[in-house]
Formats: sequence, C-alpha cells, structure tokens
Amino acid sequence: MISVRNLYHSYSNDDKYAVKDVSFEVKEGEVFGFLGPSGAGKSTTQNILTGLLQLQKGEVAVAGYNIKKIDNRMFNEIGMSFEESNLYGKMTAKENLDFYRKLFDVETRDSMDLIRIVGLQGKENIRTKEFSKGMKHRLTFARSMINNPRIWFLDEPTTGLDPAIASEIKDIIREENKKGVTVFLTTHNMYIADELCDRVAFIVDGEIRLIDSPKSLKLAYGDKLVDVEYIKDGKVLKETFSTVMEEDKQRLIRVIGSHDIQTMHTKEATLEEIFIKVTGRGLV
Amino acid sequence: MLGKVFVLFKRDLKVGLRDFISLYIIVFPVLFALVINIFIPGINETTVNLALLEGENLEQAAYLDNFADVELFDSEEAMEERLRKRDNIIGILPGESGYVLATQGNEPESVVEYAKALVTYHAFGVTVQDTRGEIVDFGRTMPPLKRMLVAWAVLFASVLGGMLIAISIVEEKVDNTISAVNVTPLSRGGFILGKSLIGILVPVAGTVLLLGATGFAGVNLGQVILLLLTLSLISVLIGFIQGINNDDIMNAAASIKILFLPLFASVAAVEVMGERWQFLFYWIPFYWVYKGIREVLADSASWGDVLLYAGIVAVIGGVVYAVLAPRIRKGLE
Ligand SMILES: Nc1ncnc2c1ncn2[C@@H]1O[C@H](COP(=O)(O)OP(=O)(O)O)[C@@H](O)[C@H]1O
Ligand SMILES: [Mg+2]
Repeated sequence: MISVRNLYHSYSNDDKYAVKDVSFEVKEGEVFGFLGPSGAGKSTTQNILTGLLQLQKGEVAVAGYNIKKIDNRMFNEIGMSFEESNLYGKMTAKENLDFYRKLFDVETRDSMDLIRIVGLQGKENIRTKEFSKGMKHRLTFARSMINNPRIWFLDEPTTGLDPAIASEIKDIIREENKKGVTVFLTTHNMYIADELCDRVAFIVDGEIRLIDSPKSLKLAYGDKLVDVEYIKDGKVLKETFSTVMEEDKQRLIRVIGSHDIQTMHTKEATLEEIFIKVTGRGLV
Repeated sequence: MLGKVFVLFKRDLKVGLRDFISLYIIVFPVLFALVINIFIPGINETTVNLALLEGENLEQAAYLDNFADVELFDSEEAMEERLRKRDNIIGILPGESGYVLATQGNEPESVVEYAKALVTYHAFGVTVQDTRGEIVDFGRTMPPLKRMLVAWAVLFASVLGGMLIAISIVEEKVDNTISAVNVTPLSRGGFILGKSLIGILVPVAGTVLLLGATGFAGVNLGQVILLLLTLSLISVLIGFIQGINNDDIMNAAASIKILFLPLFASVAAVEVMGERWQFLFYWIPFYWVYKGIREVLADSASWGDVLLYAGIVAVIGGVVYAVLAPRIRKGLE
C-alpha cells in the first residue's frame, strides 16, 4: 500500500537532511508505526507521503499512486489527521465536516455519526474556535475518516489528549483497522505504538534504525534485561543492562566484579527501553 | 470540479456574513446606493421639470416641451403645491416684465440656469432648428456628481472584493486549513478559483443592485460588468497576495488601501484634469474602467470603446498576473 525507497528531504535544499535515506514498505491492512523523539523527521515523512511536501529525492508510492506527480484522485483513498488541529474557527463542528465532505468524489460518512464517534455530540453547533485543544484534536481526527480512506495517516493522534480520550481514539483506530484500513501512524508514545502497531520503525535524526514488530522486538530484548542496583563511592546506583548486547554484557561483568551488588532482577523490556537500547536516545 | 469551486464560494460567503468587516464590505454597494439616493436627487427627477399655468401661453408651453417635461396647472396655488415637492421643478409665471421663475430654493443651479436659458431662448425666438448641440446636451446632463459617485462605487466594490479574498486567505492561514483542503481531491487551481469567486461575484451582484437602486437600471449592464470583471482580475490578484503577505485580518484589509490612491487619482484625472495630462494615467487600470463606466452611465459608450478600455485593462491585468501568480501559488503551499 505504501512503498518508500531512499527518501531524502531537506527544508533548506542543501545536505542538512530532516529525512535521510528512509526506506520501508507498509502492507495492506497493517498498522505501521513511526516511533521516534520529536524532531526525528516523522511528520516530514508523513507530509511527503500525503503530498503536503514536495518530494525531493527518492521513490514513493501510496495506494498505487506515484507521489512524484500527484494525481488528485489519490486523495479520495487516503485520510490525514494532523498533529496540530486545523479547523475553520468561525464554523461549527458540523459545518466544518459538512463542508469537507463536499470536497470528495467518493461516498462520505455522515457528519453527525463522526461527531458522535469522537464523543462531541451536543457540541456540533458550536463554532470550533470555542473548542478546547482536545476537542479540536478529536474533530480533526474525525474529519480524517470522512471519506472512508483505504490508507489512514495519523500524525500523533493521541498526543496532548487526556488518557481516557486517548484510549477511545486508540479503540477507534483498532476498530477501523479491523475493517481493513491500512494505518500509518507517527507517535512518540511507545504505549500507543506497542498496543496498536503490527510493525514499528524506530526513527532518530531522520534515519530509520530498525523496523520490526513489537512482539519480535520483545522476544529479542525481553527477559534479557537486568536491573542492577550497586554501590559505588558510597552511593546506590541503578542501571539496566542487556544480556544480549555485547557491550552491555562486558559492562555488567565489570560492575559485578568491582562493586557491591544490592539487588539484581531480570525483567520484560518495554518498547521504550528497547528504543533507548537500540538508538541510544530517549523518546522525548 | 466546478461544483467544489462553488462549495468554496458558499463557505466563504457564509463565513463572510459572520465577520463584521466582511459583512460591511458585502453590503457596501447597497448602503452606498441608499446614501446617494438620500443626498442626491434621483436621475429621473433631474430631467428638468417645468410647471406652467394652463392656457396661459400655449405656444410657449409647446416650445418648452421640446426641452423639458412640462406640467400644466390650472391655478397658481396648484402649481405652488407641486413646487413644494422634493424633486426639481421650476415654475414659470407671467410677471410684470417678462417671466418669473419660481423655485423651491433647493434646485441645483444648473437646473435653474437651464430653465432661465430656455425662457430666454423662447423670448428671443430661437427655434429648435437654431439650437446647437450645446443646448440639447445641457438638457440631457444628469447630475454629474451622481454619475461620478456611482461609477466610483463600482470601482470601489471591485477593490473591496479583493479585500474579501485577503480576509478569507488570512483566515485560512491562521486556522491552517489550507493543508486540510490540500489533502482532498480538489486541485490547487480549483482552490484558487474557488477562493476568487467571492471577490468577483460579490462586486458584480453589488454593482447590479447599486445601478438598480440609483436609477441606472436602464444602462447597458453587459458593458458595466465587462469593465468590472476585467478590473476584478487585478483586484483578485492583489487580494490573494495581500492575504498571503499578512497574518492579521486588519492588516490585510488595511494593506488593500494602497489601491485607493490610484483609484482616486483616476477619478480626479477623468473629472478635472485637462486633456493633455490624461496620458499620465494611462497605466492605471482604474482610469480606463472609470472612464468606461462613466460613459456607459451617460449612455454614450459604444461597444468599441468599452472593448478597447476592457482590452487595455486586461493587458495590464495580464502583466500583474505574470508577476503575482507564481508568488500566489508558492504562498498557498
Ligand atoms: N517547515 C520546516 N522548515 C524547516 N525545518 C523544519 C520544518 N518542519 C520541520 N523542520 C525540521 O525538520 C526536522 C524534523 O521535523 P519533524 O518531521 O516535524 O519531526 P517529528 O514529526 O518527528 O517531530 C526537525 O529538525 C525540524 O526542526
Ligand atoms: Mg511531528
């Protein structure tokens, strides 16, 4: 459904790349996650895929359309939810959706149905400039599925939402995916990535470091982390070591050999810990 | 595609009516027509009306009827009652030495002078055959102020149309909604066309209402609209570029003001400048459109003239387009 080969992008049109040699494939019906700290190049990649940014270098195909020269019909088949909500402030929630529906050539969903799905019923006749940030975000999210997209691009769909609403949004995504919608999702929230994604790509500084399923990542790294508390210079230090990475193994041996060990537990790795282990970077 | 273009227009209009400045711009021509009607006598009423006493001087009445609307009254009282009405009517009564002109006092000087001249010509026995174009022209003169204001208002409506576009583009930018429209099947060209419509259709509708309400309903509407449309191409382009260059509605609206200077200069040039200075204004599109509309309102424009003026404006518009279009496309990305 999505195929990206050797994608580069520079906002300054030089060799300062926001996205560097990125390649990946997304299969039909898959939930594919782009996981990385902010500034990693997730939105840039997604904006190229949806034609919002001009493709500079690389090969990109979305739903069978070549992104080099975009055919407007492609937009009947994709949906895009924006990181920053973007609605007409002087129009009500319902007017925003009613207007947007008319811009598509395909059958669209009923505005009130969508408003209900994201829990905004009763607010449909309020102008969106009166909305809270979370309400705007939900409406922007709802709008992105108005044309029953085959491929659904979601840029940080749960960021900034309170946990209860984030969880509802997560359920909606899962629901749509069950109906066969392919989902491309960017996030720096590893719980979302863990729970929703069939596969994730770890992206840092514009480069993909790894692509795998959360399950096999945990098989590779899970149960193979050790939390160690030890005393050094009179202070208690806590550190996590991998028992598969050679460098960590050597350090663990040194710590055991030269310090007093207080506690030592093996544990299942979270996706975030795996991310840190693989990229050497945190997710914020 | 055309359907979606109108969807954009309907949205812009709906939102425009919710915004104080836009609403004011949209209703401007109608407001202006009201003002004109209140302060300047109607066009039909300024055909000079003369009131005479019935049977007093049949030959004079027949003579004057060639040049003015003559109403006959059977008594001085009836005539006086008529004279007191709002419009311009001048009573001609036999006096001790010749005739007395009776007026209400608020008639334009030109009308009074005209009546005087007619009575004098009659007294000297000047016949229709003797009269030159001058006197006939004099008779057909509408109040020039009214024609000037209406022609000016048409130009102004076009500029305000550009202002509507600037305001709506600023709103799209502030709300960041252009990117949402960019991920729909509506093409970039369709978007630009759709956003242009409010700047074209609102002035056209306003102009039709304005002309209808100020007594110019009978003029050649096609000629006025052709001139207006060629001017609107430029107003629309300026509206887009100001919308793109500003992040605040007030600033965007205010920046359109740069057009007011050439607009007023053009009106002044046509109305008061001598023939040999006119060439200085040839580069201003307002000049040609004003000239054209003024002639159409005076019923003295031929299609040849109108097409020439519109053609000149279209060429200037083409140059403006060539300069601004790439920047507009870039700015809407
Ligand atoms: N419009 C822009 N102009 C210039 N640089 C940008 C622009 N948008 C993003 N960047 C830069 O590109 C890099 C990647 O940004 P982005 O794709 O938004 O990251 P993410 O979505 O992963 O947080 C960052 O260094 C960011 O500062
Ligand atoms: Mg982002």
